[in-house]
Amino acid sequence: MSIEIHSLWKRFGNFTALAGIDLEVPAGQLVALLGPSGCGKTTLLRIIAGLETADSGSILFHGEDATRRHARERGVGFVFQHYALFQHMSVFENVAFGLRVMSRKIRPKEEEIRQRVFSLLEMVQLDWLAERYPSQLSGGQRQRIALARALAVQPKVLLLDEPFGALDTQVRKELRSWLRRLHDELHVTSVLVTHDQEEALEVADRIVVMNKGRIEQIGSPDEVYDNPATPFVYQFLGNVNRFQGYAVQGWAEFGGLRQPVLEHGGDTAIEVLGYARPHEIDVKRDDQQGLVATVAHVRTLGPITRIELVFEGGRIQMELTRERYQADPLQVGETVRIRPRRLQVFPAEQAAETATGAAG
Amino acid sequence: MATIAAAIVADSPRRVTEEGPWVRGLLLTLALGFMGLFLWLPVSLVFTEALRKGVEFYLAAITEPDALTAIRLTLLASAIAVPLNLIFGLAAAWAIARFDFPGKGLLITLIDLPFAISPVIAGLIYVLMFGAQGWFGSWLAGHDIKIIFAVPGIVLATIFVTFPFVARELIPLMQAQGKDEEEAAILLGAGGWQMFWRVTLPNIRWGLLYGVILCTARGLGEFGAVSVVSGHIRGLTNTLPLHVEILYNEYNGVAAFACASLLTLLALVMLAAKTFVQWRIDHPGNRL
Repeated sequence: MSIEIHSLWKRFGNFTALAGIDLEVPAGQLVALLGPSGCGKTTLLRIIAGLETADSGSILFHGEDATRRHARERGVGFVFQHYALFQHMSVFENVAFGLRVMSRKIRPKEEEIRQRVFSLLEMVQLDWLAERYPSQLSGGQRQRIALARALAVQPKVLLLDEPFGALDTQVRKELRSWLRRLHDELHVTSVLVTHDQEEALEVADRIVVMNKGRIEQIGSPDEVYDNPATPFVYQFLGNVNRFQGYAVQGWAEFGGLRQPVLEHGGDTAIEVLGYARPHEIDVKRDDQQGLVATVAHVRTLGPITRIELVFEGGRIQMELTRERYQADPLQVGETVRIRPRRLQVFPAEQAAETATGAAG
Repeated sequence: MATIAAAIVADSPRRVTEEGPWVRGLLLTLALGFMGLFLWLPVSLVFTEALRKGVEFYLAAITEPDALTAIRLTLLASAIAVPLNLIFGLAAAWAIARFDFPGKGLLITLIDLPFAISPVIAGLIYVLMFGAQGWFGSWLAGHDIKIIFAVPGIVLATIFVTFPFVARELIPLMQAQGKDEEEAAILLGAGGWQMFWRVTLPNIRWGLLYGVILCTARGLGEFGAVSVVSGHIRGLTNTLPLHVEILYNEYNGVAAFACASLLTLLALVMLAAKTFVQWRIDHPGNRL
């Protein structure tokens, strides 16, 4: 079932949580809402679920207006960051809850409830825990039970609010790929809220990057990573180097770097910022072009070697594969020329609007 | 050096917060001595005095008609006040823990008012409101309704002094638990009542029971507020604590202690129940 959201606004007192959100989630897709804390992503998810009401705007489920529909009748499955399992009920009863509270006319018979609960528990591979209580489970197990519980009522939409946020890194990675496989089997329209860019890049079909109650960019993981639409997206998704410079007559200049910018052909110079990913930077020893920089640190992390350089405008991080680095190692203190293979230029004003995201 | 090392090894490991045996001994003696002097001695005295003239006199003292009426009235007042406070406490705790509304801070403060106000003042408030010369006095007299120096006044006074217990117990509990589980229940299709009975109530049941026990204990033993509104009419508006006072003032010490022993026993039962519930709250894993 598809979800459509039209010009949604939400304020809490003086704080604008959502400032005119337009979004479409096609049926069967897994969409990630990605952004820093306070960007409105959780509020948006809760409004879709019906746990909060928007000040204005509308939500359509499968083309039907659901803005005023009660949370109970929306048919959404919801997975909470802190599981929200019913503490006093066994795992079995937790999963059965949604079936047991159905009105008598449509409630399945006891035997059928049993079958459905066990098939769900098998799906999350925890059928052997049916008699346990939530307090006796690990975090990862709890979240899988919470997912089974949400799926028990066959929701048309699955909403996940930072589902792996409270888990250890290792468990989080396992559950992430498991969730992706599960989604490929079930194809239930899903919206996942996360502040973890890696999680969004790995799991989602589409990523919605949010900042300060607005959508910055919507696209596939590759699109948002490779072609960030705004400086914010650049800074939020992955590491990035930032260069300060100016643009005039169709050219942007950053120290020793020059790059054509078609958008600014005027005669008055404006300040611009250039963005380049650490792995998009080349190092040259004998080039006349490029920024002069000094090697400050070299550290190899598994398959990647990370090099930190200092130039007059600040610090630069670059990443090389271990093999490439070892073929031509750099000495700390050595002066080299660096040149980004790709440099995306934004006017400095546009960058100033975005929240503080650490460059590099 | 060697001797120092040996001494350190020989000394059993002691935590930094632990004091020497002298201090420990002193503190223990103080605490236990104080408790013995001010708790155990009086409580055992109550029972010794009550049984001084033998079991027969004891039984007679607690089964004479006035005593029975007092017992009945005490139980009745609590039986009305406790359920009412249970409902109010739940509603107040729910409102405070789940919603934001203007005046929330004021409501929290007001709930504690009976803790701060002397019970005698509480009783006086009702006299000033419903007494013959009170605000509603003439209206009540005109409609032939008696509140002061009658059972309703006693119930009102009991409600007032036991007011905070249930709400006070539930508010922090419900705030700590948050509303995730309730939201989960609603999203799974549960109705309001289903959510309350299947999710909210089971989560707070032990805290609720704890509040009810405290409330009951306080209600049974209340003296000051009830004393002001009761009028001390023997066999009609005397509660058990008031009955004890009357007997004592009539130099009927043994009978007074016999009735006092009943109150003490009730208190001990409440204490046992409270301890059990407290243990349940602290050990949620052990299921019955």
